[in-house]
Amino acid sequence: MSELKKIKNLKEFSTSADRFEGANLLCPGCAHSIIVREVLNATNDDLVLSASTGCLEVCTAVYPYTSWDASWIHIGFENGSTAVAGAEAMYKALKNKGRLKQPDRNPKFVSFAGDGASYDIGFQWISGCMERGHNIMHVVLDNEVYANTGGQRSSSTPIGSSATTSPAGRVSYGEKQNKKDMVSIMASHGIPYSAQVAPNKWKDMVKKIQHGMEVDGPVFINAVSPCTTEWKFDPKDTMLLTDLSTDSLVFPLYEIIDGHELNITYRPKNVVPVEEYLAAQGRFKHLFKDEYKYLIKEWQERVDANWAYLNRREEARV
Amino acid sequence: MPNTGWDEFEIGAMLRTFDGGIDDIAGTLQEDRPYSQNSSFSASVADWRIEKPVFNKDYCIDCQFCWIYCPDISIISRDKKMIGIDMDHCKGCAICVEVCPTNPKSLLMFPEKADEEVEIANWPAKETKEK
Repeated sequence: MSELKKIKNLKEFSTSADRFEGANLLCPGCAHSIIVREVLNATNDDLVLSASTGCLEVCTAVYPYTSWDASWIHIGFENGSTAVAGAEAMYKALKNKGRLKQPDRNPKFVSFAGDGASYDIGFQWISGCMERGHNIMHVVLDNEVYANTGGQRSSSTPIGSSATTSPAGRVSYGEKQNKKDMVSIMASHGIPYSAQVAPNKWKDMVKKIQHGMEVDGPVFINAVSPCTTEWKFDPKDTMLLTDLSTDSLVFPLYEIIDGHELNITYRPKNVVPVEEYLAAQGRFKHLFKDEYKYLIKEWQERVDANWAYLNRREEARV
Repeated sequence: MPNTGWDEFEIGAMLRTFDGGIDDIAGTLQEDRPYSQNSSFSASVADWRIEKPVFNKDYCIDCQFCWIYCPDISIISRDKKMIGIDMDHCKGCAICVEVCPTNPKSLLMFPEKADEEVEIANWPAKETKEK
């Protein structure tokens, strides 16, 4: 217990005993459970988990079944992170008083939330947890839309995406606001570790999760989670979409240590044009009409600018 | 137990994942766990499938890509070997088939009613790249 789980390669990793069960009601091809499995399998320690309202919560705790083999709580939409922070505070208090029944165990506190519960509704609660310095990890399953309630836009929805509350049509190209840079916002709290991960780069992801669980203090993880229903692609292409998102640099993989030290952890050998990433999804279908084609060019410029910004930050160490 | 309605329990009743305790859950494989009727492991989503994956052991190189990318914990890997598919929990998304790197693929999708042995006997031959 409590020593770092050694994961050198995928064969070694595959001997893990999953603590997340099948026959949950997530859509076929949903990336949420791939991310959850990679996070839970990264450690052998006990886990205290929470899930904010969202696809993950409603699909894994349907009466009379639960898909979780660890302590798991769901309270409200906004306060999953705070629930876990409370459990962590209690654990610390009991430990200081010497009242823990099994003091040698070293539980990890992880809260899962969708992008709606993190970018919008739970924002101030997460900010509070980060500011108070609880020893927790907050994992965002970022599918860029409120997928659970029918695809309303969230503040993570990128420009040009067609969502039910920002539909594309004759007068509009869909979502008009750009995505919030949540990793930088959280890093600005001065927390020891914040990172962006993707399930297709499992080794990078496990390394970041393990590092995040080892450091003392709050950790923020943003994981890209392609949604077959709302991004409108075939369930079998989930990993293809994740590959496209990391290789087109729409979701660059990086980490920020202590709020300032930025490291880029994955540099694609062949950078894919953003156009390919957009073309693979039904929610961007309208961008390929003649009148909206200029948006694809703007997309590419925005992604390039962000990549250049990250590179400058990595070099300058600020 | 599955027939008990939510309003038939006493207030504060607990539904447990396991019948009995497990001390080291991360070190206990699924076949050794005493799942109760309340774990979704006891349930099945097999009727969601239109197509099912068929596993051909002959071509498998045990790379475990299917294990890590399976969203439904339906690829059974023991002792670093892929040994089969959990058909109770597989939803037929075909991610395992997409990520399989062998040529020909050791996992392929077939209609739900297809006979596994017949399909394995008629497995497609190795594809050669056109130059």
